[in-house]
Order: sequence, then C-alpha cells, then structure tokens
Amino acid sequence: MTKLYEPSLPKLMEAIATEAKGMRGMDRRNFLKGGIAAVAGLSSVQMIPKANASANLPPNLPEWQSYLGRGVVAKPYGEPSEFEDLQRRTVPWLTADAASSISMTPLQDLEGIITPSGVVFERYHGGIPNVNPDQHRLIIHGLVERPLVLTMDDLKRMPSVSEIRFIECPANGGMEWRGAQMEALQFTHGMLSCCEWTGVKLSTLLDEVGVKPEGKWILAEGADASGMSRSIPLEKALDDTIIAWGQNGEALRPEQGYPLRMLNPGWEGNTSVKWLRRLEIGDKPWHHREETSKYTDLMPDGRARRFTWVQEANSVITSPCPENPLTQPGFLEIRGFAWSGRGKIKAVDISFDGGVNWERAELKGLVLSKALTQFSFKTKWNGQPWLLQSRAIDETGYVQPTLKQLRDERGGWSIYHKNSIHTWNVTESGDVFNVQIS
Amino acid sequence: MFKSLNLGVAAVALAVSGAVSAGPLGIGSTATPEMIAGWDIDIRPDGTGLPAGEGSVAEGEGLYEAKCASCHGLFGEGAGRWPVLAGGEGTLDTAHPEKTVGSYWPYASTLWDYIHRAMPYPAPQSLTDDEVYSISAYVLYLNDIVDDDFVANKETFAQVKMPNEPNFYIDDRPDVKNERCFKNCADPKSFKIVTTINGVTPTGHFKEDSGVAANHYQGNPSDANGGAAAPQKVAMSDAATAGKAVYDKACQACHNMGVAGAPKVGDVAGWTDRIKQGMATLNDHAINGYQGANGVMPAKGGNMSLSDDEVKNAVAYMVESSQ
Repeated sequence: MTKLYEPSLPKLMEAIATEAKGMRGMDRRNFLKGGIAAVAGLSSVQMIPKANASANLPPNLPEWQSYLGRGVVAKPYGEPSEFEDLQRRTVPWLTADAASSISMTPLQDLEGIITPSGVVFERYHGGIPNVNPDQHRLIIHGLVERPLVLTMDDLKRMPSVSEIRFIECPANGGMEWRGAQMEALQFTHGMLSCCEWTGVKLSTLLDEVGVKPEGKWILAEGADASGMSRSIPLEKALDDTIIAWGQNGEALRPEQGYPLRMLNPGWEGNTSVKWLRRLEIGDKPWHHREETSKYTDLMPDGRARRFTWVQEANSVITSPCPENPLTQPGFLEIRGFAWSGRGKIKAVDISFDGGVNWERAELKGLVLSKALTQFSFKTKWNGQPWLLQSRAIDETGYVQPTLKQLRDERGGWSIYHKNSIHTWNVTESGDVFNVQIS
Repeated sequence: MFKSLNLGVAAVALAVSGAVSAGPLGIGSTATPEMIAGWDIDIRPDGTGLPAGEGSVAEGEGLYEAKCASCHGLFGEGAGRWPVLAGGEGTLDTAHPEKTVGSYWPYASTLWDYIHRAMPYPAPQSLTDDEVYSISAYVLYLNDIVDDDFVANKETFAQVKMPNEPNFYIDDRPDVKNERCFKNCADPKSFKIVTTINGVTPTGHFKEDSGVAANHYQGNPSDANGGAAAPQKVAMSDAATAGKAVYDKACQACHNMGVAGAPKVGDVAGWTDRIKQGMATLNDHAINGYQGANGVMPAKGGNMSLSDDEVKNAVAYMVESSQ
C-alpha cells in the first residue's frame, strides 16, 4: 500500500529553517555540492559534452547499439561498469598507519542488503596477511578431549551453513560522540556491511574436539601480524558462531580473512577474528589487548564496561543523505537500512521534524535476524526543510535511542557503540547536511 | 581377551589417523604437543602461559629506546597518532581521558602478551622472551608501577597488580530506554542544532584529482609533497625497485607519515640535506640505527630479520622517491 505523507507542521519547520540559517554547516553547502558534482564527473559518460550526449538520446540510435559489444569471458572475473564509482573510503587522520586502520563501505550507493565483497569495510590491526590456503591450519586445543589440526579441505568436508549477517565495527559513528564531524553517510555509518557467509558452525567443531566440562571460554586468534585475539564465551560459540570460508558465493576476500574467519553474528566486528588459525578452550577469559585497552567502554565516572559485544539496534536513511541530495520536488521514496545485533528488525519509524512526530515506515525485502533490513517511506518533497530521522525497533522491543539519551548515560567522550537516532537536515535547496540535535 | 582386543583397535586407529579417538565426524588430525607449543602464545592474567626467562627494567630501557621509542616516545608519550603508553593517571573521569598502560590497562599480563605477539609493529614475534620481559618491565616502570630494580620473570610478573583493575565491569546494556512515541515526543523549542565541524571530512575523496592514493593523507593541495609518496616520474634503479617491497613491509609505517622525525618519502625538502651526507651514511644509519636531532631511527627499522642489502634497497627506494 502506497502512503503519501506530507508533514503538516509549517510553523515548526519554518522555525527550524530560520534556526538552520545560522548554522556553520550552511557555508559548507557549496563545497559538498561541488564535490558531488566532481565525483559524478569521474564517470566518462558525464564528461561527454552535452551535444554528444544527446546523440545517444531518443530518437537517435545510441552509439553503443551501433556495433557489437564485448564477447563472453572477455573478463573472466567481471567488474562493475566503468560508469560506476563504488569504492571504500577512509578518514586518513583517524589512525597512524594504513596497516592498522579502517575504511568505510559506501552505504549511500548500495542497492539491497548484500554488500558487494569488494566494498565491505576493512579493519586491520596489522595489515592483510597473504595466506596460502594449502598451508593454512586451524588448531583447536586446550580443555578438549581431542586437540585437532584442520586443513581447509577438512573444514569444507564438514556440514556447512550459509547465513546472511551484518558485521559492524563498534566504532561505527564513534567520530560523532562529541559532535557532528562527518559530512557524508559513508563516514558516519560506513563501518558496516552485510554478506552471505558460508562455513561450519563452531558448535560442530566443538563437538568434534569434545569440550571438557570446565571449558567455558574460547580464545580466537588470527594469523595476521597483530595476532588478533579475542575471548569468546562458550554460550555464543554454541549459539550461532560460524567458522566461515565463503562470502557472497565465493571464497572470503583477503580483506575479510581469507581463507578462514570467525563470524559472531550481531557482535562487534573485531570479535569475528579473521585469518583464523587457532581456537583455545579455557576456563576463563584472557583479557587481551583488544578486550581491555581497546573495545572497552569508558564511562563518565571513570569506570569501564568490558565485553560489550552486542551491536544494539540502529538505522540510517541512505536516500536522501549528504551524498544523495534531493534534486527535484515531487514523489520521493525515503530509503534506508536498519539492523540489530539482538535479532530481527520489527519496525522503523520516520520523523521529518527532528523527532517531535513520527510515522511508520514499511520494511521491504528480506527481514532476517542480525542482517541489514531495508525500510521505505513514500512521500512528496516540495522544497520544505526537514530534520529527517529514522528510528529502529527490534524484535526484543528495544527502541533505538536518541543521542541525548546515550550522552546522558555514557558521557560525551565515549568511542564505541554509538547507535543513536541520526539526523539529516534537508534544506530548501535539497542539499542534505549531517546535524545533531541536543 | 576383550580388553586386549580393544587396545589393539585403539592402536590401529592411532596408527591410521593419528587420532586418540575420533570425534562424531572423524575429520581432522591430532594436533600434537609440538604443533600446539609453537602456536600457543597466549598469556592470561593469572600468569598462565608465561615462559621461562627474565628481564630487568635496566635492560628494558635500552631495548625500548631502540625498538619502541620511535613510535611510542622516549617516555611513552607517543609520537603522532601512535599509542601513548604512560601517564594519564586521574584523567579517566574527565572530558579528556588518557587511556595508557598505567592509567587504564587492568592486567600486566596483557602487556607481555601483546608485546610478544604484535610488537615491534613492523616485526611481530621477533623479540626473545627475555626481551619481552625486559621491555614489559620498562613500560611498567615508565608508569610507576614497578621500581627501577624490578626484574620480571614468570613469578614476579604474575604478581604485578594494575591500579585500574577494579574499575572494569561486565557490560550492563541495554542502559537506555527509549519509548516508541509518535506525537509531540519532543519540544522543538528546546532543540539545539549542532552542525558539522569545518575541515575534518576528508575532502580529498570528493575531488576529481584526488588520485588513487586513498589510504594516504592528501595534505594541503598547496603543499607540493601532499604528505604522501609522490608519483614516480623517472625510472628507478634496480636496487630502488627491489626496495619498494621492503619499504612497504618495514619502513612505511614511519616514513609514510613522518613519525618520530622520520623524513617522509616524497618530501624533497626533508631529504635534501640527508641525501647530501651520501648513501654510505644513510645506509649506516638505516642498518645500525641512529639518534638524530628530530628522532630515532631504529636499527633496520626494528626489523632485524631484514638483510643489510634489503635495507640498502629500501634506502635507495626512499632516496630516489624523494629527489
């Protein structure tokens, strides 16, 4: 059912528009507008002078229809059209070195819930190791009856599963705890991807080695230069952890842990240890660097939360967004993604006035547990300013919080797990800016 | 009879699969104690996993200055964006918390484990156990957690208590509860709208001429060096060509960004006076280490597994990229 909705709050929006005129971000309009035009200019079709371009338009015969195209296996492993500009991007000043850094997925360009493998966000603690799968081994030992060493062939003989699950860095949005910093969706929310993962359930492997009764924790360790390691409780391992070798229908990409990774659905990405070489079963957690010094959550009283594994419900509008401004009035489908580390998305709401009033959006496509879920809201835009927000509700009843609620609880200088309702300011010109309402 | 037959079957199974007894799927081989010993590198807070050997604060000082200080600073203060290791006491409940080994880390074992598994950054798992004990002891000393006569070993290290240990607690989220309200949920009069901070979005990504160096800081467009390796216009020597791979592996961590006074590759001004000293001097500094006015060049960049020739090739690459 198509529902057309026009917010009937002219006075409120007028007030917001007036207030917005004083914003520092307004003078950024020209930069971003110019920048987007420049990006569009990268595609060669756009660079053809207008007179030539019209030669391909009706009623003329398009140039590409006037001769034979490329044949089969001209590119045995295909690639996107040259007119597309889908790419990971990073924030160079964020980290000291590219081998211990992060890049972001272009969520603003994604069509559907599957993130193409080539643009899944990257997070390395010691760069990408170049692992030869024939010489890669997984050792499982510790408090087990039968310590095992497994080849990739061994693992692929085991009963396998395929699941569509998101993976998200807990620092997603973390640059915005103190204030709005990033002028693009890719940088505010792009440490997030969703793929189909294929592998063996960790519970199957644990059956194979026979965990002793005192075994309660598992250390997962990578074969990268950082020897990435995290302690995983047995409850998670027996629930839904996958030891994966497949991603979106092919082998894992090197960036995602080729040839073997752990995947802890719904949990902060760094627990899903890549290039997995070792699982040790123990009776206590190890408290390694990435679960003490990093990936713990300092609270305002100086104490810190540890083992903050779950990525709580979150959502963001991907169109419009700073990279996808509104170009003309009329019909508009507002689109976005919602996700929850606790299960399925139950509902998503949209606000046009900064959270004063809310409307129900529709979920569309597949609604899967711990996976990106698309939402849609059909409306009209007639040049009015909006403070556009989305609010996710998951199947546990958890409602995505406001930034104020998070800051009141956790202070303003946290790093991880910022899942607050996000605000895009849509201006009369159709430009979209990242703002925060406090 | 029955008993001895069982033993016989078990012996055959051992001989065939190498497994003590098979799991439900019967897939995989027994991980031998030798295999496990080589990979089982983890240390726990109770000291489980700590090896034999020992190292003192005094021994750690020299090792730290040679292998760690170029990134972490002589006193653990950190260079550039590399981690600060010392200081920060009393800052955790302020608006600018400084999370260091001394102010934040709950367990000393984590220090040993991490230095051993991942440091020095360009040469992981290259330190001996004694060296790890020494450097760990010195970092604890920099944080006033042990005295200058401390000698770390399996027994003494496991007894070190970190001051911030009691301040960690298990995740207690969900910690906030939003309501699914639909009408008049907030007072727009109270809205304070905060916009983006000028100048921090990496605008280079939006510019047509930003090139392919997406991982490199674009710098100020007016800065000819741009902060990143300059495109090569002339053919390189064979040594420099061979040195590129060494540079990528062992040198770029500092020489790309200019950490600890390291001259950036492509920064012609920064290299001119250095190149004037001659290749012999540059190679000597790179191979044997050097304390300069601006910072420390660790011997072989801290990666002692490199041959002298590999280091020379890397120097050639950097020099020829910076003229």
